[in-house]
Amino acid sequence: MRTAFANFCSALDVECWMLSVGCWMFVACATCSAQVDPWEFEVYPYSTTPRGIAELETSNAVVARGHDGGGEGTAKGVFPSDKLWYNAYELTYGLTDRIEAALYVTLAQPNGHGLQWAGDKFRLRGRLFDQDVLPVDIGWYIELESHQTPQFDDAVRELELRPIFEKDFGRLSIMANPKFEKVLAGAGHHNGFEFGYVASLHYRWTRRLSPGLEFYGGTGLIDQADPLSTQQHYLFPVIWGELPHGLEYNFGVGCGLTPGSDHLIVKFNLELERFVGAIFKASDQGWFW
Amino acid sequence: MPIKALVFICLTTFVAGASPSNPPETIPEIRFANHRFSPQTLLVQAGQPLQIKVVNSSREKIEFESFSLNREKVIEPGESITVRLPALRAGSYDFFDDFHDNVPEGVIVAESADSANIQRPTPGNKP
Repeated sequence: MRTAFANFCSALDVECWMLSVGCWMFVACATCSAQVDPWEFEVYPYSTTPRGIAELETSNAVVARGHDGGGEGTAKGVFPSDKLWYNAYELTYGLTDRIEAALYVTLAQPNGHGLQWAGDKFRLRGRLFDQDVLPVDIGWYIELESHQTPQFDDAVRELELRPIFEKDFGRLSIMANPKFEKVLAGAGHHNGFEFGYVASLHYRWTRRLSPGLEFYGGTGLIDQADPLSTQQHYLFPVIWGELPHGLEYNFGVGCGLTPGSDHLIVKFNLELERFVGAIFKASDQGWFW
Repeated sequence: MPIKALVFICLTTFVAGASPSNPPETIPEIRFANHRFSPQTLLVQAGQPLQIKVVNSSREKIEFESFSLNREKVIEPGESITVRLPALRAGSYDFFDDFHDNVPEGVIVAESADSANIQRPTPGNKP
């Protein structure tokens, strides 16, 4: 009985997956709004930074056409989002074959102002089991945002949790990171969790150049969705790949899909990884460490 | 309501992906030594999940990577890893050492079951 059911599911594999992702996106869009992290337009895959490797990444997003008032669009503070440049530097290290740690520094340059420090973040991310052990590759993500400056975000400290889902269909990878955020200190700390999403379809065409579609959406409180008009949802067609000397890039132009979104955002992420030495031995055939 | 919807979607996602996976009993092997992979062309059977053992017999660290198969893992000298792969369509799939550009790329060739040229793994190489 179970085998027959599994065979049935296998036959419908791609179709079910598309349907599931479609449903997920629909529910996300229909019920939520808000928390989009403009310093990190990036979808996390199941795989982590390999053990012993350090990765330096810069994430950049420029709001080419945004809002004129503070607190609108991607801007959560006093500066308007229009022409705002979000700049982040991230150092990631592969602790084990399944767990990585990362530190971020976030900066921002509002239109007509200089580059300013906006906060910092610490993140642990991992993957469970090895690839293809589970029907869906699953990972986890815990992030602590701290020391955020009120001119860019009135929440002083935030916790973010994400499960990470990935499924490959040949050269096509479908990735989804639902986001759950809780303000620990600052404005909104009495509220519960907020919900957001990050998802992508990436096609591996060549190592140098591959296309993709990325989706970012904000969400309000889980139990109290914002009106659709104030929600933020973005669609980014992207290109990504590898440059000489091991540099990897991801470039995209994002369109806001709701009035509350910024209208046009250009993002450019660049990363470089090098083996610096492993602290821990190779992971065994377990599921977590 | 959103939490219920999420739970439902997670469950449907799992069910949708719940395909049977019965890896073969023997594991093909790729060995890295003398700054090259051997064999450089590995023939496997298309249409069924498989595992490949990658052994680093050299004295240098390597990063076994396959862009087309979306696999990447560091292997210390003397260590080996097992790479699990889903059922592959017939075709060629690259693999290389991402730490050394001058190591020749290898290729995994998945051929249909009726092909006479499938290279069977060496006897005794059981998981």
